[in-house]
Amino acid sequence: MITPFRSARLRSVNRPALLALTGAGLFLASLDAYVVVTALLPMLTSVHIAVNRPEQATPIITGFLLGYLAVMPIAGGLSDRFGRIRVFAACLTLFAFGSFLTASAPSLSQLVTGRLLQGAGGGALVPAVLALAADLYPAGDRSPVLGAVSALQEIGSVLGPLWGGLVTASSFGWTWIFWLNIPAAAVIIWALWPEVRSRREERRPTSLDWVGALLATAGLALLTLALYAANPEQSPVGAGFIWQAPLSVLCFALFIWYERRTSHPLINVRRFRDSSFSGSALTNAIAGAGLMVGLVYIPVLANAVFSMNASGSALLLVRLMLGIPVGALLGGWLAYRLRSYRVVAALGLVLAAIGFLMLSGWNEGSLKPHLIGPLTLADGELFLTGLGLGMEIAPVSAALLDAVGEAERGAGASFLIVMRLVGMLVGFSLVAGFGLWEFHRATAHLLPPLPGLNLDFATQFALYTLKVKQAIFDEYHLIFRVTAIALLVGAAVAAATLRPLARPRWQ
Amino acid sequence: MRPGSPPRVLAAGLALAMTISACGPQPPDGATLLKQSSQRMLQLKGFHFQMQINGFTGPGEPVQSAQGDAHPPDLHAKVILKEGAVLLEVEVIFNADKIYLKSFTGGWQQLTAAQVAQFFDARLLFDQQAGLFAAMRDTTSPSRGNSEKVNGHDAFPVEGTLQGPRMHQLLPLIREQGTYHATYWIETPSNNLWRARVTGNLFDASQAATIVFDFSNHDHPVSVSPPPLG
Repeated sequence: MITPFRSARLRSVNRPALLALTGAGLFLASLDAYVVVTALLPMLTSVHIAVNRPEQATPIITGFLLGYLAVMPIAGGLSDRFGRIRVFAACLTLFAFGSFLTASAPSLSQLVTGRLLQGAGGGALVPAVLALAADLYPAGDRSPVLGAVSALQEIGSVLGPLWGGLVTASSFGWTWIFWLNIPAAAVIIWALWPEVRSRREERRPTSLDWVGALLATAGLALLTLALYAANPEQSPVGAGFIWQAPLSVLCFALFIWYERRTSHPLINVRRFRDSSFSGSALTNAIAGAGLMVGLVYIPVLANAVFSMNASGSALLLVRLMLGIPVGALLGGWLAYRLRSYRVVAALGLVLAAIGFLMLSGWNEGSLKPHLIGPLTLADGELFLTGLGLGMEIAPVSAALLDAVGEAERGAGASFLIVMRLVGMLVGFSLVAGFGLWEFHRATAHLLPPLPGLNLDFATQFALYTLKVKQAIFDEYHLIFRVTAIALLVGAAVAAATLRPLARPRWQ
Repeated sequence: MRPGSPPRVLAAGLALAMTISACGPQPPDGATLLKQSSQRMLQLKGFHFQMQINGFTGPGEPVQSAQGDAHPPDLHAKVILKEGAVLLEVEVIFNADKIYLKSFTGGWQQLTAAQVAQFFDARLLFDQQAGLFAAMRDTTSPSRGNSEKVNGHDAFPVEGTLQGPRMHQLLPLIREQGTYHATYWIETPSNNLWRARVTGNLFDASQAATIVFDFSNHDHPVSVSPPPLG
């Protein structure tokens, strides 16, 4: 929970400069959340992993998310104890170290370790910066600042794939996505150094809920392992699913039990009884999963069947990403005008579901036909998907923040990010495993022709390639359709649970 | 404790260590090591291997790496091939003179010898006459270096030269014309070969490449069975 300090001294420092510097660090880390989606293929190749073993790319994505989620609950408390800026600088250093490991990785294990540390360093920045913003600004002025920090995190994560695609396609290659983090982090830490060294920051002993954090992290880590299909030919989930999944459920059950008893819980679990709170948390997670599917599978699809390079697939994804901020603004405005969170959130999710349903009809010619001028139908479909995913952000976030009230707003903002990431992690893990499993099932009897055996090898091979492409399309159609269904469920949850806007209190 | 005792103990220990090292069995010379290790490796009931090719390989040489278990001539390996800028993984089984391939999709299919020769006949790597272990005996001017740690084992490096035609037998894509530099890391007294490295302009007259073999699980029985087809 973030409780601002009433420190007059800290407020006397250059607030915008401090916020800008820490915000820049946060932005840097959030860029890297999904930066890999357009760089996966060259990353795999440089650690000697074959393209027909794409399941091995899953930990490159889930590793970061897991690291991010593991530290978020404790980072706020750590910054209470050791000082916001110190914790910020330490975590940014960890992020830079993770970037170094990733960029220099000779093996998949180092690559994943690097991503995990990047996530851990980057994830800790979110509560540290939110708490710093809460320290720097008095209660009345705080909301827009907290909003801006959260928005920075969102914008960074959405721009990441574009950034990654452009760097990967450039002559520098994918490693520079990560090399560049090191000087950038160094400059930020250098600029903050006087603040890091000064003893000006107020510190206070806080009781950190280590047990709760450990249980939650163990539960998530076990769930991620259980869902990781290392061998999708045999099983859509991990080999240890049988024992990992129940153990993960046990960890979560223990977490809830413990949180109800401890005096300083990470999260007030009693809030889940409030249907508006739990409904918005669930909706947010489902929307996160939907966004992740789009972020990962549109570039991969572009690469695998439309033969686009990293920048081409990033530019295709931009169509979806452009929709998100437009949708976010529209959603906020509509919710205010209609004075309803549930209608706007449900509408956004239904639009996103329609978008995914349209994507699930794509085939090899889908990028070609022009609608108006240079715009194609595919552009519109991608934009609509992003627009819908953007529209739900404001009403769902606002409903959750309304439910927690002013005193817990910082914690609420962190919790929103946590739920979104949990949705991304779990949703992506599920979709990745089942998608590949389905692909292997569909191609189980599709043998590639062998040179020399068939006289018309070229024809046979062309036919084989066509069939493989079709199987890839079928896999994606299934993934997009399942995502659409999940988003419709999210829409139903939002429509049933979100409370209307609180009446404005005139002061 | 009496004063002066620690230096005395130290001196005694030092003397003892020197005696042991002076009286300990001297490792054999390079040629003997190669011969003994070659014999040992050819008689193993099975082993695990990993092969990695680095440097210039050119478009004609698609194999990047291979790893698996072998009891020559039977073996089961995963092979990574380079196709343009991407890597592809296939699985091969050599069992009782039959060859099976599991490619990008679908199950196992049987290949003819002519088909496998077109891409990678992994049996040749460990063949009794043409393979790597036989080539150890054909390595000329061997010289032994000091013990080094290789994959956690103390082994003596033995350097020598291998002629092009000999390497060409082992991997037909290697140029017959060159002379290559070979290093073998051999553990004593087991004579286990832990690593072998061949460098030189293997696949192109002017560009260098390296092949590294790593071995483990020496003499762990390996039995390769034919896979279900389809």
